[in-house]
Amino acid sequence: MEIIEKIKTNKLLEYQTEIQKICLHKLQSNPLPNPKSELWRLSNKTKFSNFLDYSFNEKDLKFDSPYPNNSQSTIRLIIGENCQIEFVEENYSIEQLSEDEVDKYIKEQISSFDQNENWSDLLNLSLSCKKNILGLKVNGSKIPPIEIFSHASSNSLNAKTLVIFLEKNCDVELIQVNLGKENSSLSQSTFFFLEENSSLNHGVVSYGENGSNLLNSLNVIQQKNSEYNLGSLHFKFNYARFEINIKQSQGNAKTNIKGMQITKKDEQISTYTKIDFNGPNGFLDQINKSLADDKSHAIFEGSIIVPKIAQKTDASQLSRNLLLSDLAQIDTKPQLEIIADDVKCKHGATISQLNEEELFYMRTRGVTLAEASKLQLSSYFQEIISFIPVSKDKWDLLDKLLNEN
Amino acid sequence: MQSQMKESDPILEVENLFASTNNLPILKGVSLTVYPGEIHAIMGRNGCGKSTLSKIIAGHPSYNITNGDIKYSGENINSLEPEERSQSGIFLGFQYPIEIPGVSNLEFLRVSTNARRKFLNKEELDTFDFEELVKEKLELVKMDQAFLSRSVNQGFSGGEKKRNEILQMALLEPKIAILDETDSGLDIDALRIVASGIKKISNTQTGIILITHYQRLLDEIEPNYVHVMADGQIIKTGGSDLALELEKKGYEWTDHFVKET
Amino acid sequence: MVNENLVKDVVKEPYKYGFVTDIETEKIAKGLNEDIIRLISKKKEEPKYLLDFRLKAFKKWQKMKEPDWAGLGYKQIDYQDIIYYSAPKQKEKISSLDEVDPKLLETFDKLGIPLTEQKKLTNVAVDAVFDSVSIATTFREELAEHGVIFCSISEAVKNHSDLIEKYLGTVVPASDNYFAALNSAVFSDGSFVYIPKGVTCPMDLSSYFRINSGDSGQFERTLIIAEESSSVSYLEGCTAPMFDTNTLHAAVVELIALDDASIKYSTVQNWYAGDEEGIGGIFNFVTKRGKCLGKRSKISWSQVETGSAITWKYPSCLLLGEESVGEFYSVALTNNLQQADTGTKMIHIGPKTKSTIVSKGISAGNSINSYRGLVKMGTKAKGSRNYSQCDSMLIGDEASANTFPYIKSQQPNSEIEHEASTCRISEDQLFYLQSRGIEFEEAVSMMVSGFCRDVFNQLPMEFAAEADKLLALKLEGSVG
Repeated sequence: MEIIEKIKTNKLLEYQTEIQKICLHKLQSNPLPNPKSELWRLSNKTKFSNFLDYSFNEKDLKFDSPYPNNSQSTIRLIIGENCQIEFVEENYSIEQLSEDEVDKYIKEQISSFDQNENWSDLLNLSLSCKKNILGLKVNGSKIPPIEIFSHASSNSLNAKTLVIFLEKNCDVELIQVNLGKENSSLSQSTFFFLEENSSLNHGVVSYGENGSNLLNSLNVIQQKNSEYNLGSLHFKFNYARFEINIKQSQGNAKTNIKGMQITKKDEQISTYTKIDFNGPNGFLDQINKSLADDKSHAIFEGSIIVPKIAQKTDASQLSRNLLLSDLAQIDTKPQLEIIADDVKCKHGATISQLNEEELFYMRTRGVTLAEASKLQLSSYFQEIISFIPVSKDKWDLLDKLLNEN
Repeated sequence: MQSQMKESDPILEVENLFASTNNLPILKGVSLTVYPGEIHAIMGRNGCGKSTLSKIIAGHPSYNITNGDIKYSGENINSLEPEERSQSGIFLGFQYPIEIPGVSNLEFLRVSTNARRKFLNKEELDTFDFEELVKEKLELVKMDQAFLSRSVNQGFSGGEKKRNEILQMALLEPKIAILDETDSGLDIDALRIVASGIKKISNTQTGIILITHYQRLLDEIEPNYVHVMADGQIIKTGGSDLALELEKKGYEWTDHFVKET
Repeated sequence: MVNENLVKDVVKEPYKYGFVTDIETEKIAKGLNEDIIRLISKKKEEPKYLLDFRLKAFKKWQKMKEPDWAGLGYKQIDYQDIIYYSAPKQKEKISSLDEVDPKLLETFDKLGIPLTEQKKLTNVAVDAVFDSVSIATTFREELAEHGVIFCSISEAVKNHSDLIEKYLGTVVPASDNYFAALNSAVFSDGSFVYIPKGVTCPMDLSSYFRINSGDSGQFERTLIIAEESSSVSYLEGCTAPMFDTNTLHAAVVELIALDDASIKYSTVQNWYAGDEEGIGGIFNFVTKRGKCLGKRSKISWSQVETGSAITWKYPSCLLLGEESVGEFYSVALTNNLQQADTGTKMIHIGPKTKSTIVSKGISAGNSINSYRGLVKMGTKAKGSRNYSQCDSMLIGDEASANTFPYIKSQQPNSEIEHEASTCRISEDQLFYLQSRGIEFEEAVSMMVSGFCRDVFNQLPMEFAAEADKLLALKLEGSVG
């Protein structure tokens, strides 16, 4: 009940929005996720309670570490800071959703929430105040790439919510950056709605500092002929969960996902994905990579659901894992649930260390073991990083992963 | 001529070498000495230990030396790392060059060449200068520049992989090169290209060990010595005519040497 | 579309082992409590340690909950409505086969397992279990000459008590799971095999389980011990009559392999599956596990699962000994309203251990067929490897195929590789075969048996042919 109390004391009931009330009510019947459920059974309990420990904070401090320079060619938005957003150009428009529109959409989503599966969203929405919910409607093409930032301040728990509608035939590149300051918890929930023929190249880069925690939930609904591409990277969190929920609501859509998580020290980072094919001719190509070093723990659980209505689905899911230390561990569970018979579905998983023959080959050419490992790792990382759109170069991701981390 | 060569110190001395992998003994007392300017051929059936010998000289971590020594320029190198051996001038041409997806061939060659240059106290090359050097060496093996932008050996044909090996040899300028079945899987034209590459790179200061099954490579590059290996030992050593005799009579002919030893 | 009905017809052969043997049986009262357990133990004249084992298991079972994680749909089982001991009435002590009730011999004859001296199978020793008791074991003397012990577990309790006391419950502890606890409390009979040091068992050993009564559960227990450098191949077959009620079968099988020993355990499971509406059929809730205790020991499970209304079964290997090997080869075919949740657990504990998993699931009708498996590399499993391949074939658009591989590694110097795919019989393939003059039905069963080839290759010869035939029969009428 502690968490419920925390939410209540933070904001008296009469000041809460309707959505906050609904979510709080839902949480009250089930304040914490079921630790025995598939989605939570491997979650580190101490770390999870550490996530909830920080006092909740609606007004976070201005982010003090500098973001990489903004350039003219991108649109930069910081959740919680921007008040009025309106870009109307000849070939595109980005407008802020009205409160009513956001409310209506979120309520619709909540009605189909599963208490356990959407626990992170329930928590997020019961905490997020109006100011920390950013809703956008995007239309048109040749839109400048969009950068959206979320962060949590030290010694506090922050909740940020993003809702984006992509209208018909719209085509956009968007990178979401979630930064955790030292000893902080960030709850980030994102809702995308892709209308027919729209296309989104989405990047998610989340990285923290010492003792930062993250609950990152991503919900995507794809209409017919839409294309959703996700490149994601999570690293440097004491505890992080990335929950991806994608629904091809009428099939006939394309989804490509390339995700990676890197754990060191005693960190725990997990990725959960659920891809629901709710119509025929759906396409999925997914690869998830994990790298676990030191005493850390990396987890991947992916499920692909193909009901009878989803004939001619073509889905592939790969889980590739590198285990680099005697004390680290990796869990992976790529699963298929299929009823339709005319489908092509496959999945695969491997766990190993760096390829010894490749290392030897490079070493016989004078490359040191450390350099050879770095070369191998950089090619391992590069496949994912190259899939992340928008100004990724500014972030020196490869450098961060190879040297800083 | 040979006695003249032996006035200089040997490059490589393998002395009564015993080695095993997974507790399985593979080499059972191999001795071999290579002087500058010499070309040695090692022949023998599959599984006789030829490839193992080459990997052990290059320092493969899966094999344990249980007895004996490997000396390079008079120094014992038993405990050197593979990269240290390479930097000091030992080159292994792989029978099956490893494919390394995602690692650019050009970058790999540059890092590798610079590691050797650093050892030789030569200036390290930046990307620009290195490309110049590679272009020149590409000529030797008649390779196209397009190879440089691909991943290391990935999707290369058998012949392309072997030429990539010789290209690396040309860049690293080793003192001793061990070429493990560099001729296998090559058609006649590719074999000529590879053989002429090897000849151009080697000189009176370098030693070469050719590991092969067939006479045809030895037709192109005439060895000073031919060794026949069986069951982890060198059972017979002779001149280049030994290879011809072997070609005629087959390995069965050598079986009785095994019994003798 | 390929003609749905035609293929459906191919899967629909009536169950040919559905007859009931009319024989006088001795049954105890329905229900489960301590007194019933004491009664079973007394009937079997068991030593005290075994009664204690049973009672302890019962206490644990009472505190446990029926597992629901597999999401299987079935009506709540009333454990007080089951008869826990049922045996055909016969003389107290049978000294030879001639004294066995001819009706029983006839039953096994009809099942294709003749037991009498004149007709018995020449290359396989058989232990025939009818409801709760073992009826006969063939070739006992021949096996005894090699020091091989092959008898019912009740007999082993009497004659080889030291081995039972030493090994029973060491692989599957009584508290392992709900059904294992139940079995440990009430197990009736089953087979016992002991292969002494250095002995290669001169012939295949086989148990044949027959459920005859409709209201009694079957709770057999099998224990196989292979001493150093010994080897054995063991086969298991199962059938039951057709009743419109569900019968519970909760068996436990424990295998132990010491240094350099190898055990191959093959099952063809053809319990009654219920009718097309899903009425009746066996609930097959079985715990099978092998312990590779010794260095370089090997345990290989192969199974062809075609029967039962519900199958819940994960034959597993604990790989403790250095360089020990675990294998699991499985074909599971479900049709109509059958549910199968089957797979394996490969627990790599010792260094340089190796495991292979090949699973082929075929789902037809409205059935649900799931592979559920765990591969785990422990911290000490240095240099270990696993390879898993799980393929599903769907026949018709009402059947479901699920794959739930749990993979966990705590050892960087180990490799795990898992692959899974889903396919169906393609029209092109069928057309190609048909255009070469092959009948539709034959083409379908060719494709299915081709799909299962990797597993059939692992079965002992006579079983492989049997399995192929069984699959063809079961498939009649289901491909579309």
